[in-house]
Amino acid sequence: MKSQNKGQIRIIEAFLAVLIIFSSFAVSANLTVTQNTTKHDDLASVGLQALMKLDSDGSLGGYIDDGNWTALRAALNLVLSAGVCFNLTVYNEQMQQVNTAVISNGGFSSQEISFVEYVCASRGVVFRCYIIHLQLAVAT
Amino acid sequence: MPAISIDTFFACSLMVLLVLSAMAGASKLLYPYINNTDYENIAERYRETSKYLLLNNGKPSNWGQKGQIVPETFGLAKAGSDNPYELDIDKVSRLNSENLYAVSYAQIFTALKMPDVSLRIEIKPIFEVAINLTATYASANDTVYKFAISTERHGVPVQAELKCYVVAENYLETNHVYASNGEAYVNITLSNDVSGPALFVVFAKAVCDAKMVSFGAYTFAHNSASPKPRGTFLRLSPFNYTLEASFIYPEIILSRAYALTFNYHSILTKTESGNQSVTYSLPHFLDPSPTLMIVTGWNSTSFFTEWATYPQIPLQTGANFASSTALSNVFAYTYTVTVNSALYECTVWLGGPRE
Repeated sequence: MKSQNKGQIRIIEAFLAVLIIFSSFAVSANLTVTQNTTKHDDLASVGLQALMKLDSDGSLGGYIDDGNWTALRAALNLVLSAGVCFNLTVYNEQMQQVNTAVISNGGFSSQEISFVEYVCASRGVVFRCYIIHLQLAVAT
Repeated sequence: MPAISIDTFFACSLMVLLVLSAMAGASKLLYPYINNTDYENIAERYRETSKYLLLNNGKPSNWGQKGQIVPETFGLAKAGSDNPYELDIDKVSRLNSENLYAVSYAQIFTALKMPDVSLRIEIKPIFEVAINLTATYASANDTVYKFAISTERHGVPVQAELKCYVVAENYLETNHVYASNGEAYVNITLSNDVSGPALFVVFAKAVCDAKMVSFGAYTFAHNSASPKPRGTFLRLSPFNYTLEASFIYPEIILSRAYALTFNYHSILTKTESGNQSVTYSLPHFLDPSPTLMIVTGWNSTSFFTEWATYPQIPLQTGANFASSTALSNVFAYTYTVTVNSALYECTVWLGGPRE
């Protein structure tokens, strides 16, 4: 009986070892996530800066007020670096989609997509506030 | 052999095997990431450095406006601006080696205060304008020049409005064209009484955004010998809303000087005139466009046109990383910046020794 118990403890030890190994894998997986976040931040920063530049003189709000989605798409195409795919959606204060056309320069082929949320106030006579969601990816 | 010994042997072997395989697997899995952490830290450090250069004024904050001042701390932002990534027109112009008051790379490197980091900065318009003379039709009284103009960004056509100027001796003509698919043809008719060489200048404004303006210039022979390369007769240095034209040869006589933007143009007035240089005052055009200055004159018997832009772009300054990418960690960061209400593309390269 005593010898049988000793054998069981060894087995439990082996399982504990397996547990330790799996925890090491779990830690590794977390490290991988940290790396991806850094890359995403880089692209998100580019997107945020592009929106800020378009908004610096009120052009961004002007495109949305006028419903000029073609011009907005062309402006983003010019401001963003070559090889960056984007998809932009404009919402009003009630989070209802405002843009009636797709504002994008093509489909995303990348798995890593960055997301930027930007709040834009139009400079028209009537105050309007828009919430812009910009998704970005590097074309592969 | 007792059963307990078999159990112990089996359990120990299993544990040793699992621990060894776990260590091997974990180290294989983690090694690139552990190694990459340093790499990511360097990339992050360089990214923040590049932002710092474009978001800070430097010291003194007005080092752009005072030609004799070498910045103690390097920064290109416009002092007192509320708009992030708005650069000072004079600080940008002083990065161009063609400018008389240019800061050297050694001065930039010292002002950067990062002895382990090399730097390169490039500022250029958001899109390119290419001009080609495709045909010439000469008649008894005048000559027609046919130009092909293309506007594109990385090979993709850009819809743009074009404003064309032709400058020759005591002659200025303007023309407005629309490049719907990034391409346009312009016919310029010059009387044979006009002396050349002539300068054809094109400003292109993107239809989608008035802040995106680019330009191109093309010198061509008209009743003259082939034009000499830019900078043969004068060194033009725009600075603090003045233009200093320094003579390369002593026997130069200047005639008219012009300042052109997309919407406006004017004839420049001299504020100082010396033996070896002339200074003009530049107008503050309320136009989101670079200003292109043209100075015309005579060198003994030949007429010339020289030009420069304010801000003095496109420019590239700093270290050349082309041959050192294998030995160094080189990172490039591209930003959209504002200079005088117009948008430009600024790329900052930062590099240091590979660790």
